[in-house]
Amino acid sequence: MSRKYHKSHAAGSVVLAATLFLLAGICRVAEAVTLPHTTIQTFTLPNGLDACLVEDHQSPVVDVQVWYHVGSKNEVPGRTGFAHLFEHLMFDGTTNVGAEEFSDYVIRSGGIDNAYTTEDTTVFWETTPSSQLPVVLWLEADRMRNLDITESVFNNEREVVEEERRLRFDNPPYGTVVETLYQHAYTVHPYQHMTIGSMHDLDAARIEDIRDFYDTYYVPNNATLVIVGDLDPVEAESMIRKYFGPLDRGARLPSNNIPQEPPQTAKRLVKLDLNVALPAFVEGYHMPADGTPDAYPLRLASNILSEGESSRIYRRLVYDKQIALEAQSTGNFTEDPNLFFVFAVLNQGHAPAEGEAEVEAELARLKTQLVSDAELQKAKNETLRDFILSRQSTQTRGDELGYAAVVLKDPNLVNTELARFLAVTPEDIQRVARQYFVAENMTLVEVHPNNTQGSGPASETGTAGQ
Amino acid sequence: MSAQRQSSEFWSAAARWATAMSFLPAAFRQASVSCLAVLLLAGPALARDFPPEALPAKPLVLPTPAVRVLPNGLKVVAIERHLLPLLTLRLVVKSGAESDPATLPGTAQLVSALLTEGTPTRSASQIAETIDSIGGLVDTGAGWDESYLSLSVLNDHEELAFDLLSDMAMHSNFAPAEFERKRRQTISGLEVVHDDADYVADAALRRLAFLGTAYGHPEDGTLASVRRMTPEDLRAFYERYYHPSNTVLAIVGDINTAEAFERAEKCFGAWANRAAPVKAAASPEVVSHRILAIDKPDAVQTEIRIGDPGVPRTDPDYLALSIADQILGGPSENRLFKALRSHQGLTYGASSELLSYQTAGVWLVKTFTRTPETLKSVHLALEQIKRMHDHAITAEELQTAQGYLIGHLALDFESSDDVASHTLELLVYNLPLDYWNRFPEKIRALTAEEVWNAAGRRLASENNIIVLVGSLSGFEKDLKKLGAVEFIPLAKVDFASPVPGGSR
Repeated sequence: MSRKYHKSHAAGSVVLAATLFLLAGICRVAEAVTLPHTTIQTFTLPNGLDACLVEDHQSPVVDVQVWYHVGSKNEVPGRTGFAHLFEHLMFDGTTNVGAEEFSDYVIRSGGIDNAYTTEDTTVFWETTPSSQLPVVLWLEADRMRNLDITESVFNNEREVVEEERRLRFDNPPYGTVVETLYQHAYTVHPYQHMTIGSMHDLDAARIEDIRDFYDTYYVPNNATLVIVGDLDPVEAESMIRKYFGPLDRGARLPSNNIPQEPPQTAKRLVKLDLNVALPAFVEGYHMPADGTPDAYPLRLASNILSEGESSRIYRRLVYDKQIALEAQSTGNFTEDPNLFFVFAVLNQGHAPAEGEAEVEAELARLKTQLVSDAELQKAKNETLRDFILSRQSTQTRGDELGYAAVVLKDPNLVNTELARFLAVTPEDIQRVARQYFVAENMTLVEVHPNNTQGSGPASETGTAGQ
Repeated sequence: MSAQRQSSEFWSAAARWATAMSFLPAAFRQASVSCLAVLLLAGPALARDFPPEALPAKPLVLPTPAVRVLPNGLKVVAIERHLLPLLTLRLVVKSGAESDPATLPGTAQLVSALLTEGTPTRSASQIAETIDSIGGLVDTGAGWDESYLSLSVLNDHEELAFDLLSDMAMHSNFAPAEFERKRRQTISGLEVVHDDADYVADAALRRLAFLGTAYGHPEDGTLASVRRMTPEDLRAFYERYYHPSNTVLAIVGDINTAEAFERAEKCFGAWANRAAPVKAAASPEVVSHRILAIDKPDAVQTEIRIGDPGVPRTDPDYLALSIADQILGGPSENRLFKALRSHQGLTYGASSELLSYQTAGVWLVKTFTRTPETLKSVHLALEQIKRMHDHAITAEELQTAQGYLIGHLALDFESSDDVASHTLELLVYNLPLDYWNRFPEKIRALTAEEVWNAAGRRLASENNIIVLVGSLSGFEKDLKKLGAVEFIPLAKVDFASPVPGGSR
């Protein structure tokens, strides 16, 4: 599934009270685990560029990220996939840097660079030895305003992106299942289409569209620069002002009239007949945007349902009943309201309906019985662990900071967000389960193996529901 | 991850053998500036700006592992890291899928999968509940030359972590019900991946390129082998290979070295030793030219693999070959990437990789393309392999590759898991403990000629292996121009047969 899931977060100076249970045979009083506070320096240049810096000398490494607040939800019908195609073009040369040179500058110092596009953002990043900071900042400032794309480069890059689509969606088993889910779960909001776009729209993309997209979205006042690592903040700020300061602010403000999805009122069912070995299904329930109060109990509900082998859905479908190869739940939390998923790949001889009934029983249990304090604490401990693990690398710290600043609109959430998880009560979990995990809010995609090798591409056999 | 420019596997493969520590020599920076001057002169006469100079390099201080061998032969490595309240224990048994019985591929992996599934004093459920409750993270697996069991916990559960890890490593009981459940899961997993062209191409290439060695079967087994397995087969493997003198334990994180050793001694001291297992003798290089085309009629892309002879991990040519591999198919704009993607738009990814094990090695080239462009892509990849064979590498290519391998070391020692893995790799392959400290000087000392000699000798069209998995009707006729081709429908592929399409 080619979507970016945002799961763990960096955290602030929050203490998890020593209420961890005493396990059989281990009579040791748990000490409080504390996370170090992250000091963030933020400032905005006169041209509108936001900057967030974190000084951290644990290794001689620096991570630079430029977050453009544009993703596939900014695309209009007929132009799906354009934000991501544009991400590729950003590596294809400027008036100062040749078509294959950007990454060469990064690689020859031992660094790595890449980029990704989500529904909401397009992110360019470089992780390098810290001595390379001025080089990387210069390179990013250069391509923010000096892109220089020829028609042949554009056509070449479009073919590369079409290969990427085949690789991730059209060729692998089950590759189109999530795309089908979104096509049916959404009716007007652009989350209806995948970030990669449709092959038809990619074919139709024209070089004439580039300049307008670039001038609208790739401007300092639509970008956030994140730097984490072995840096001197005074020196870093002066470099930022030197390289990004002269860039012109964008003339037009990015339009923000994205159609909001109306509430779903009836269950939607899609059956797919695919050339795969095992049956499967995925359910998607509409849920609120990331950073909203209900996002936190929903994330913890996801842990309770499927994080670790003692979690409820894993336990029931994979371990006890042994009807599934794997079964999981996860929320795709984004800037606008997205979907909470439950999916399973079933063992041979078990129909999707059988797995769906077991999932339904677990969701019903969440709605009718309060989770125990111990089980909720387990979910919180897993969250705390993820916060700590994400602190280990300079790059993941940059990821968390950029996400907090751009999508959640508050960089300091890397310090304060853990507290929101720890404040969740069993009643909160029950309330969100009752509110969101209901049939009329759900889209279900069933996958039925057609068991005939080479009978051609997947076909939709029917759409039901009222 | 969403629509990334390159697959993460690509980067992790590159990162695996990237190492080294300090930073670029001044000479390198000068050289790159002068090569840019050449580009500028050659290009159109436009005013062009260049990036600023880098800052002075900061030294990278690699962690120093402390090593102690317990009386029973268990080697323990401790590395202190006090930045985060985290402890990682990683136990590695120096036997993996290469030690699978010949008739039972997948044994090592199923053994490792059952380590978390019960001991005489803890049921599978109790183990899962205990780990999840404290926010622990457990991982097990078996690759080539090693099986592993790792556990990360917050540092308020040190004692529990040692107790649990040692119990799982020393007392797994392979209960029939748990075995049956994991076996069934494994079979379902194999059924799914056997429809995945990427998996099928890798497994078929491995079969042919490592034929006659201990490394020529799928590490996750075959449907037939997994169906044949019994709990007794797993217990036999476990008893033969899981013992102290065949095992190393890394303790990394927020713990004092003295305490780490003390806890290791307490938890693993009673583990009875046995005679060390006999390793298979070095295998001869047996790669001989073959072309295999596997038909998957619903495919829209063809997965392409080309295997050439490589080297074992401890071969004297390994580092020279690492540089050559970097140039041919390392991260970002390598030769294959430029030829197939940047210049022609034929693929999203093109890379190469050294599969280097204890007693055998293969140099692997991987790419994929839309069905109609299959032959063109194969030719372009072969052309780059031939170019590496026929022509010396340039000074600039050498410097870029050296710069990457040396500079990247700083990025490779950030997480406790990374530190543990890099240190354990040395112990598994009996490499000196100061290997990473000395890596930069060794990489820097290699000349373009040495790199070319090491690479060119191993690349020749008469002994490479080509595997294609795709919809053959799209290119079948052209395919014969490559030479004698064996055609097999996907459903007939048997990864344990010497001829993957042959009947058994």
